Amino acid sequence: MRDIIAAPFPGLDLRRQYGHHQSLAIRAGGLIFCSGMVAIHPETGEREHGTVTTEAHRIFENLKLLLDSAGSSLDRLVQVHAMIYDRIEYDVLNRVYCQYVPNAPPARTVMSVQIEAGFKVMLDVIAAA
Amino acid sequence: MALKREAIEPENPALNASRNFNLPHSPGIRAGEFIFLSGMVAVDPVAGERAPGTVAAETRQILTNMAHLLESAGSTLAQVVKVNVLIYSMLEYDNMNAVYREFFPVDPPARTVCGVQLSGGSKVEIECVALA
Repeated sequence: MRDIIAAPFPGLDLRRQYGHHQSLAIRAGGLIFCSGMVAIHPETGEREHGTVTTEAHRIFENLKLLLDSAGSSLDRLVQVHAMIYDRIEYDVLNRVYCQYVPNAPPARTVMSVQIEAGFKVMLDVIAAA
Repeated sequence: MALKREAIEPENPALNASRNFNLPHSPGIRAGEFIFLSGMVAVDPVAGERAPGTVAAETRQILTNMAHLLESAGSTLAQVVKVNVLIYSMLEYDNMNAVYREFFPVDPPARTVCGVQLSGGSKVEIECVALA
């Protein structure tokens, strides 16, 4: 059984906002698989390009909205692929990241990749339902 | 009781890239209620060779082959829960997306797309997690 998790706020629905052919998140087998989250305003869907710091804050706040609405939470993150535009800002990302998952943080792999729309950060996460 | 873990393979042997290219992976692994697939690049289903081409053509070939692999294991594309798309340049995102949407017409899976360096001249690589 696989359930679509609806966007708790319209800005998070990237399929409607930008035509990305994906659901925001899917619940299946006791896990919640989320589409890569970027720094967009959850109500308006506006892209909020910024520093690694501001983008990471917005991403975590968006993930909090999403996971809380689905009955989960940031504390229940299982695995994170932390995508960054350049590893040179690894420390900057870490500084923000620790604030949101201070206890028993999820498994994580950091990858330096090209992200959509020129964003500097994207978090691809799986959480426990 | 321990979770059952087994390798899955495509019914069409030409699509078993793991074996055909002598790579240290299985095409997919079923574990409990999930199937995890190895990243797939465009492979010709007759010759079993890499089939590089445009982003659109590669996306179409990969997802066609992915459907075959999942069906070989008793699943389907409709059971896919998460897809990771690797593309050689995010500039070609729209070319991939336009073909991709044909394969997941209803309630598409969660997805992450990023631009990375691929090998062998491939422009697209796709992996997924599906329900068994």
